[in-house]
Amino acid sequence: MKTIAIAGKGGTGKSTLAALIIRWLSENKTRSILAVDADSNVNLNDLLGVPLKETIGAIREEMKTRISDLPAGMTKQQFLEYKIQKSLVEGPDFDLLAMGRPEGPGCYCYANSLLQDILRTLAGNYEFVVIDNEAGMEHLSRRTSQAIDCLLVISDPSARGVAAAGKISRLLRELETRVGRRHLILNRVNGELSDQVKSAIRDESLGLLAEIPEDDALLKSDREGIPVWTVAGNSTAYRAVSRMMESLDL
Amino acid sequence: MSRLIATRAIRGAHKLVARAERELTAVLAEKGPDTRVEFPNTGYFLPISHGILGLRIETLGGLRELLAEAKKLLPPVPSDNLWLPYLGNTLDAGMATLFADEIIEAIKYTHNPLPYLPETNPRDGHLWLGAANDVIMRERGIEFVDNTAPGFAACVGYCPTNEIAVRIARELQEKNLYVFMSAATDGQSMAQQLAEEGIEMGWETRLVPFGDDVTATIHALGFSTRVALSFGGAQPGDYQRVLRYNKNRVFAFVLALGPVDDEKHAQAAGAINYGFPTIADTDIDSILPTGICTYEHVVSPVPHDRIVSKAIEVRGLKISVTKVPIPVPFGPAFQGERVRKEDMYVELAGTDRPGFEYLTGKAMEEVEDEKIEVVGPEIDEVPEGSQLPLAIWVDVAGRAMQPDFEPILERRLHDFMNMAHGIFHMGQRDINWVRVSKEAKDKGFRFRHFGSIIHAKLHGEFGKIVDKVQVKIFTLEKEVLDRIDTARKAYRQRDERLAGLTDEAVETFYSCTLCQSFAPNHVCVITPERSGLCGAYNWLDGKAAHQINPTGANQPILKARVIDPVKGQWQGINEFVFNASHKTLPIFSAYSIIDNPMTSCGCFECISCVLPSTNGIMVVYRNFPGMTPSGMKFSTLAGTVGGGLQTPGFIGHSKRYVASNKFISAEGGAKRIVWMNRELKEELEPELRRIGRREGVENLFELIADETVAVTEEEVLAYITEKGHPALSMPPLF
Repeated sequence: MKTIAIAGKGGTGKSTLAALIIRWLSENKTRSILAVDADSNVNLNDLLGVPLKETIGAIREEMKTRISDLPAGMTKQQFLEYKIQKSLVEGPDFDLLAMGRPEGPGCYCYANSLLQDILRTLAGNYEFVVIDNEAGMEHLSRRTSQAIDCLLVISDPSARGVAAAGKISRLLRELETRVGRRHLILNRVNGELSDQVKSAIRDESLGLLAEIPEDDALLKSDREGIPVWTVAGNSTAYRAVSRMMESLDL
Repeated sequence: MSRLIATRAIRGAHKLVARAERELTAVLAEKGPDTRVEFPNTGYFLPISHGILGLRIETLGGLRELLAEAKKLLPPVPSDNLWLPYLGNTLDAGMATLFADEIIEAIKYTHNPLPYLPETNPRDGHLWLGAANDVIMRERGIEFVDNTAPGFAACVGYCPTNEIAVRIARELQEKNLYVFMSAATDGQSMAQQLAEEGIEMGWETRLVPFGDDVTATIHALGFSTRVALSFGGAQPGDYQRVLRYNKNRVFAFVLALGPVDDEKHAQAAGAINYGFPTIADTDIDSILPTGICTYEHVVSPVPHDRIVSKAIEVRGLKISVTKVPIPVPFGPAFQGERVRKEDMYVELAGTDRPGFEYLTGKAMEEVEDEKIEVVGPEIDEVPEGSQLPLAIWVDVAGRAMQPDFEPILERRLHDFMNMAHGIFHMGQRDINWVRVSKEAKDKGFRFRHFGSIIHAKLHGEFGKIVDKVQVKIFTLEKEVLDRIDTARKAYRQRDERLAGLTDEAVETFYSCTLCQSFAPNHVCVITPERSGLCGAYNWLDGKAAHQINPTGANQPILKARVIDPVKGQWQGINEFVFNASHKTLPIFSAYSIIDNPMTSCGCFECISCVLPSTNGIMVVYRNFPGMTPSGMKFSTLAGTVGGGLQTPGFIGHSKRYVASNKFISAEGGAKRIVWMNRELKEELEPELRRIGRREGVENLFELIADETVAVTEEEVLAYITEKGHPALSMPPLF
């Protein structure tokens, strides 16, 4: 199993890139892919063109609120496992798991310790796990807590964006999540990078892996609510993602 | 006590100690007392003398002290007219043997060339590896702790044929045991037999050739001594702890193959000190009564085809592998495998089709062992992608079978079926869900194999309870629906029985230390009538979690002697809590809010605290944001109660605990409640009314104040005085 985590501030197009990366993997590597939508504003399923089932967050809440009327003779481990396995959206090209909203007040030690085990085991079934994270990396640090083979931090082509990407990368270091490689990807690049951006990249000491150009076709499909998944394979952005993924040599 | 074994072991010990003395004297004369001795790349000095005696031997001269200890322990050889020698003498002789072994082996490491290849695997014709270095120790020792490897078989001597040697080695490997080989007899050893058959050996394959000398057996016991020091927290010299750790945690035994001479008897006596029994293929007599080892100490003669299973039985080792007759690989490694939709041949039950699984006890004559029936289509009679209903009905019979075991056995069907490669099983009872992969189907897996798995595993794991198992598998909707109500009725009855389970009815409670990450000294004690304070964990969950992960955060705690039945104090619980709280909590009361109450991590759903002037208590739920009559809001109260400190007058607990018969029962129970926040009070209304009726205070619910009538202690007192709350006339809390 290889884990690719995609992170970035909101609005950088990270979920769109996640969708394109998943598509590239399924077309070129394997269809044994677990896509994990770890952003609480769940939308990866829309980009991938699949319906959403229950989220992990909702399951966790249900378990907490229903705790006294769960069957007494059935363990919560089994109940939770069953629900999570059921919540998986199964497509021909990948499976999708949505983490949903973060926890509310109350004690989640037990629920999270169960979740961690179940998710780790589930992830082990796939050749690739692609995690679309929210900026704070909440899910990485507390839920899945597995090693990341490749961290891709997405930014727009601005100095401030690159600084924010650097911050995310450092945050992960503090969370003590083991990370193999880490790369920066600039998204929606239009023309040459400015000197400020170039110097910001140097300052953050993040290797720039790829520049993904602005793609009108993608923007258009986004406006019309057409899943990124179905956008033509020769679109500029998808071609750039393809080149990038090949260079990653996974 | 076998006179024969004792005599031979003691005689062997004398021979080995004499040999150690001879060799030590010679090498001292040759090389001098300051010559360094060590097992290469180890940080533990010589493991036995360090672990057992606390010695830090670094030179040949230092070995003299060890020799003196060995001589001190040597008992006289029993005379011919002593018919019942003591086990104690034999054990001492065994320990003296181990010291002598260590001296002899240590001296070998001063030889040039080294008689051992100090590496991970044999190569270039160098078979014998000698002592394990620290890298091996760290990598492999941990497997003894997390149960990846339950233990080892120290194999001494040789087998009648190479084929038998290979078969025994394979059988031990299949059970995840390490095979430590040493002590050739007449120049023949099991390791050489394996080498002749081209079997790959070394730490990686778990087939470890230590040395051909009988004294090389010490490297097996040295290894387990170091496991106790490194992972068991034993201090060097604390021999009791080293030995007890090995007895309790390292499932090792000695297989004596072929003729057993005096020296090998002496090794066996040494191993018994660690709780490791010896199983022999020749007739060397037996030591059966229980003393040091869990069951027998020495068993012989045992035929080769049964020697491994006998050893496992005698050592009390529970290994979950029995040969399951199915055409796909089977083992714990396949648990957690999901059969993805793309790879799936058929889906059974789940949300779209009805299903259930049910296990029930029957009379012996009603069950035909290994009878497996499939009613409805088999997997090869349905097209790919089919969805079918599924009922699995298991009848078991056994002399020791009880209705209480039914749910325990039934819950395991999930684990069992998941162990088959290509089978995905979720849930239990009437929310079961199964998938079979295309690959499994192509390899010949059929629905009837569910029955084969269940039959084999129930026998394998519950052999003490179960004598006969028959399984019916239904894949026709009508057949499933015809039976589902019977099963559901049984589930309901079981739930009711469990709900009615009392603390007095069980011998063990479960600990929960999941929250120690942020409240390091906090220990939850979960009893049938008191769930974990987070509300998530009940007694059954603790029990199940322990079964899944025996070394995890939930441990069974034997109640042992009752100290105070009213306050809820037990000797076993106190001892456990004392240790698990890092020696901060010597006494613990399960049912009292005043006297050594249970601590809290910070996860509690509710806080109860005493309102002194009312002679009662208030209960507040964690989402209540307002002020409480204690003068503190929930958040401030939480600071007082949490962090693993005992604060008399304050406890954190789950919501459901309020409805338990054991809710602060030492102080009179729920009748003490004078205030609750309204939401909580309303949620628990049915329970409060039930408790009121039981206690003869029909209107208890109405007597309890909430924030709409009282927010200060004075107002609560005024309210309950006006209403005539029973707390006012109860004995004083302090």
